[in-house]
Amino acid sequence: MKIVACYSNKGGVGKTATSVNIAHGLAKTGKRVLLCDLDPQGASGFYFRVKPSKKLTEDRFFTDVKRFTDAIRGSDFENLDILPANMAFRDFDVFLSRMKNSRSRLKKALASVDGDYDVILLDCPPNISVLSESVFKTADAILVPVIPTTLSERTFEQLLEFFAERDLPKKKILGFFSMVQGTKKLHAETAAAMRAAHPKRILDISVPFATDIEKMGVHRAPVAAFAPGSPAVAAYDALCGALAGRL
Amino acid sequence: MTQSEPLVLLGTGTSPLDPARLDTGALSFREDVPATETGFALIDTIDGRIAASGRLLISTPAEMSLIGERLRCEQPQAAPDFLDRMPEGAVTGALSGTVPQLRALMTVARGTALRQRLALVDDEGKTVLRCDLWDLRPEAGQAVSVAVLVPLRGYDKALRRIARQVGAQGTAADPARAAALLRGEDPAATGKAAPAIREDQPAFEAAAAIIREQIAVARSREAGTIADIDTEFLHDYRVALRRVRSVVSLFKGVFSEAETARLKTRFGAIMARTGRLRDLDVYLLERAEYIALVPESRRAGLSRLFDRFAEERADEQAKLAAWLGSKGYLQEIGRLERLFAKASRLEQGPLADRLAPDYARALIWKRYRKVCKLAAHIQDAPDEQVHELRIHCKKLRYLMEFFAPLFGASEVKSLIKSLKRLQDNLGLFNDYSVQQVSLEEAQAGIAADPDAQTAEIAAGIGALVAVLAARQAEERARVAASFARFDSDETRAAFRKLFKPGEDAR
Repeated sequence: MKIVACYSNKGGVGKTATSVNIAHGLAKTGKRVLLCDLDPQGASGFYFRVKPSKKLTEDRFFTDVKRFTDAIRGSDFENLDILPANMAFRDFDVFLSRMKNSRSRLKKALASVDGDYDVILLDCPPNISVLSESVFKTADAILVPVIPTTLSERTFEQLLEFFAERDLPKKKILGFFSMVQGTKKLHAETAAAMRAAHPKRILDISVPFATDIEKMGVHRAPVAAFAPGSPAVAAYDALCGALAGRL
Repeated sequence: MTQSEPLVLLGTGTSPLDPARLDTGALSFREDVPATETGFALIDTIDGRIAASGRLLISTPAEMSLIGERLRCEQPQAAPDFLDRMPEGAVTGALSGTVPQLRALMTVARGTALRQRLALVDDEGKTVLRCDLWDLRPEAGQAVSVAVLVPLRGYDKALRRIARQVGAQGTAADPARAAALLRGEDPAATGKAAPAIREDQPAFEAAAAIIREQIAVARSREAGTIADIDTEFLHDYRVALRRVRSVVSLFKGVFSEAETARLKTRFGAIMARTGRLRDLDVYLLERAEYIALVPESRRAGLSRLFDRFAEERADEQAKLAAWLGSKGYLQEIGRLERLFAKASRLEQGPLADRLAPDYARALIWKRYRKVCKLAAHIQDAPDEQVHELRIHCKKLRYLMEFFAPLFGASEVKSLIKSLKRLQDNLGLFNDYSVQQVSLEEAQAGIAADPDAQTAEIAAGIGALVAVLAARQAEERARVAASFARFDSDETRAAFRKLFKPGEDAR
């Protein structure tokens, strides 16, 4: 079982779209995937039409293995299950910080479904917090979507600094470009500069800015389920391939 | 990854799941995959091993689905064959251990399958249950419906809700019953043949009933023997006819002497046609084992012998197949069938009217005493006596099997079991002996028409005969001990209680 975190310390970069499409993409290749919707602002559960579970409101949730596994829902797609978000997740990081040994408890909660899943994909909330830090320690890989703009470049570098300060293993970070608009000169230039500056941290993969990705909200499904020919699907599949190669 | 396993509901007639008649609350059905109508085949062994294991194997042009009460697996369609000759997959994997090596899978029923795949969705459009519905309409036989309810993880409530209603709605059937309906057989008659003999029946009627049934079994194996689907068809055919002959010869006084002689001759003539092919089948099935018995240097010669057997077998099979399809055979077997269908045309013997249980007790007791008497001094007796003992044991076994329904099947069963252990020993003794004789005959045949391989084959046969003789001697040495094990106080008491009541045990 491998844990993959989909994380960005900046909002609106296509993180949830990445989580949803990567989860679906990996499941398509036969990997058994659990997508955990940890982002209260995100909506990866919404895209799979999964209702938030009432059972998750109690504080005991992450200490109780059975509650954890009972809350899991099968998606409409083979090999893909969802752990839906819940209001209580807003307090998720606070909850974690109150816990002693939060890392091991989180790890335990995730390991409880070991054997069931090949990949656990965490759709993380967009801030650096205790939760994020424990996720960074637990995860085998951290997917970071980056819009190739100056501002995103700065945020990405902040993340690298955070890793350096806390002595976290930087090599887990797998950046890739998201919402890329081929017509924008700035996008191309920034992408090239970032790749040159961080050749090991940034994958040579660009997910285009595509209306099909925006339409996910209408269809409430991953792009590949309603627009399999979309260039976005090809990019996500490439990302899945690169990720599988790293794991 | 789904927590709950799929739930399979079988029903007779039309679909047990009529979406229009279900109370789904806030949930609703929609088509998940467009409905298809295709041909289907029910695949099983001739004796229904898959059905007996509680499963149905349905083959459609796209795939094979193995459906059991808590199981469903699929793999791409493949022609039915011996299991180890079919492609590996989820279905063939699940069937290993169910389908014996010697049995081939075959189409046992065919017809039209209407398949609907529905999704039960909630108010968000999320699928909470998948329903795979089959309407199987066989060309012969009766329609059967299959509903496979596949829950999604975390949505067990929806499964329970629908399952409860479907259970109340449809006419439930278990897989064995469903298979029998599709095959157009009497669902009550599945499994091992249990003749419809009754306690209040005269011996004559019981004999006729057993024979009628065994003729039907033999006839059901004709097509498979002709098509050469597997060697078990001929084996079953012969076992059934041997049972017929046993009834004719063992049920003394039930038929007139002249009738007994006539029936023996007629059934014997049919059996005689099948003997050589069966012998060759047995050799060829054991080919690898036999070759392993002899030293390396003798294996090539033995291999050549088996190659000749294989050629001869092909000829014999063709001959028998032609004969089983011939007008002469069909007329004869048809006449015999009719003769027992309306048994009034049979000449009765002096004991015809005795009640079956009394008649059976006397027969079985007499035979049992004969076995004990013969076995008493078997250690030092000549080999002929061992052969005789084997034959008496076999007759005793047949009698007990025929009449088991009259005497509490479970008690008789345990006696048969202890008898069987003795028979296994005697059977091996006999097989080794018969094989030596027939190998020597084969040798004589080959020597009469010598060619370049003759010497090599003769050396192979010589080596095998030597091994078989040693094995026969080993079995011979065990006979007395086998009988002693069979002849326990419990067994004696049980025989006496069942077949010689009213007298105190010694």
